[in-house]
Amino acid sequence: MTQLALVIDLNVCVGCHACVTSCKEWNTSGTAGSMSDDNPYGQDPTGTFFNRVQTFEVGTYPNTETVHFPKSCLHCEDPPCVPVCPTGASYKRAEDGIVLVDYDKCIGCKYCSWACPYGAREIDEHLKVMKKCTLCVDRIYDTALPETERKPACVLACPTSARLFGDVHDPESQVSVAIRENGGYQLLPEWGTNPANHYLPRRKTRITIHEDELERVDNPLKKERRQPRPGFDEPTLDDVTSW
Amino acid sequence: MKANVHFREVLNNGTGYYGLLALLGAIVLIGLGAAYFMEHNGHFVTGMNNEIVWGMPHVFAVFLIVAASGALNVASIGSVFGKSQYKPLAPLSGLLAIALLAGGLAVLVLDLGHPDRLIVAMTYYNFKSIFAWNVMLYTGFMAVVVVYLWMMMERKMNKYTKPAGFFAFIWRLALTTGTGSIFGFIVAREAYDAAIMAPMFVIMSFSFGLAAYILVLMASFKWTERELGDKILYRLKNLLGIFVGAVLYFVLAYHLTNLYAAEHHSVERFILLDGGIYTKLFWIGQILIGGLIPLAMLYHPTLGKSRAVIGWACALVILGGMAQMYVIIIGGQAFPLVLFPGMEVSSSFADGIVASYTPKLPEYLLGIGGVAIALLLVTIAVKVLRFLPESLADAIVDPHTASDAKGTAKKAA
Repeated sequence: MTQLALVIDLNVCVGCHACVTSCKEWNTSGTAGSMSDDNPYGQDPTGTFFNRVQTFEVGTYPNTETVHFPKSCLHCEDPPCVPVCPTGASYKRAEDGIVLVDYDKCIGCKYCSWACPYGAREIDEHLKVMKKCTLCVDRIYDTALPETERKPACVLACPTSARLFGDVHDPESQVSVAIRENGGYQLLPEWGTNPANHYLPRRKTRITIHEDELERVDNPLKKERRQPRPGFDEPTLDDVTSW
Repeated sequence: MKANVHFREVLNNGTGYYGLLALLGAIVLIGLGAAYFMEHNGHFVTGMNNEIVWGMPHVFAVFLIVAASGALNVASIGSVFGKSQYKPLAPLSGLLAIALLAGGLAVLVLDLGHPDRLIVAMTYYNFKSIFAWNVMLYTGFMAVVVVYLWMMMERKMNKYTKPAGFFAFIWRLALTTGTGSIFGFIVAREAYDAAIMAPMFVIMSFSFGLAAYILVLMASFKWTERELGDKILYRLKNLLGIFVGAVLYFVLAYHLTNLYAAEHHSVERFILLDGGIYTKLFWIGQILIGGLIPLAMLYHPTLGKSRAVIGWACALVILGGMAQMYVIIIGGQAFPLVLFPGMEVSSSFADGIVASYTPKLPEYLLGIGGVAIALLLVTIAVKVLRFLPESLADAIVDPHTASDAKGTAKKAA
């Protein structure tokens, strides 16, 4: 079974919000739209976003670092938002594992928002239905687009390629390799929801070097205590080089 | 003894009755107007947001629904538990249960994103959803209580009153279990995910429903100049006291259990200590106004006999119940989701931040409109059908004990 998902590399995400804006741009004009905004430039802006970048300061001053954490629907393999939906508007597709909302069946009771432990569901305040990331389902299968563009808008927009897209059930896919080789992890695995989206952790490359490794044991210059001195009539190094 | 109790419609055609009808009708219209305003402009005109998705209307709606199932208890005590003194009270009990449920459901439905899609909710069922179960439990409750009332009020069908009452009693327990489970089944949020939610809601329904019943009983008897004996009223108020105490017990058990588990300490700290409005509502609203003060009023040896005090105690139980609903529904949502357990979290969005919610006027108006719908239904029904006994004087309710009491009084004299 295919399970499409995003893998987000926290090591290279710079928090530029390109994924947020490209998501909004594609989806507000696509089949998942429109995504309403109220007071977008005012004091208390409200609006619907499928993807938000959350920025955390990790650690205690002065030992802190900034982590940008893009979060959208994680397309859980056992999504808690699906069983709670009274009309079955919230569903998981068998063919590719994408969790979707049928806007025509959603009555806007918002109970799925209570059930999602990740806070991924948002109500569209004007269309009054629950909305969330669709993995750009209206784009990834669009044969009118060139093959390379059949990816979610956020993946295409990411300037640092922090977002990967693919089938996490295929062990040879780019996303599976990335998860396997870079310690990819799920958000809150203890809920048992088995989120399909994974995060690659911050990675710092450090190697331990011992003192003796910095000294060459068989350094020929150290073999004899005195270095051979050139004769006084021989040219010095400065005389024979041109710099 | 049963033959002594006669039921009679409200015959009063004076300005008082129609004035009450007009007042309630006006409040209902204002509530519907508020619902239209929110529906037309979208949810952004309310105080609700992506963190607090259920606001003030839900507090009213869930309260009314819980109180509805509790209001039926008076009838159940009569027909299920065979206390004959309660039988004259039963028709009003069934009526109030239907009316409160109708009011609550009206608010609930009008607060949905798409009230117009109610037909979808009734034609597409996801049987795994406790919400879908509740749709059936609520509509079924109406039907079951209507049948129960019919058995009670139609002389030929009287013999079926007991089985109908028994079935209605089981149904009401299922209903409140369903309502409590809406919160009990929420594993994703710290304040819920507790099996005790279901029985706690059942006991809350006993208390809120009986308080509402006593108030309606006292008001309807006073305004229609019928006699309400002390005996039956004292019975009801003593029972209310037991229910109020039981609610406090369940709240205590819930919080003690949570306090025992280290993972719940932060949410308990939020509700009990530093949650601002939620902490105030919990201690002052729920515990003091809705629990300890009415308990003291109801069981006070002299004050507890005063009708004004009993009435006020009922009103306080209802106010405290609203506070309790607010703490459970809004407080639980305001407490942030835990995405990184064990970490202190704050980000550029809502993470780690207590969500803010200020109910807007239309939300209050819709909720109050629901209460008015319930009262309006009762007001109309008692005029059309014979729900109210002509008299509940001590001698009629329980002639044996009444005459005994007189006998002992004479002896004492």
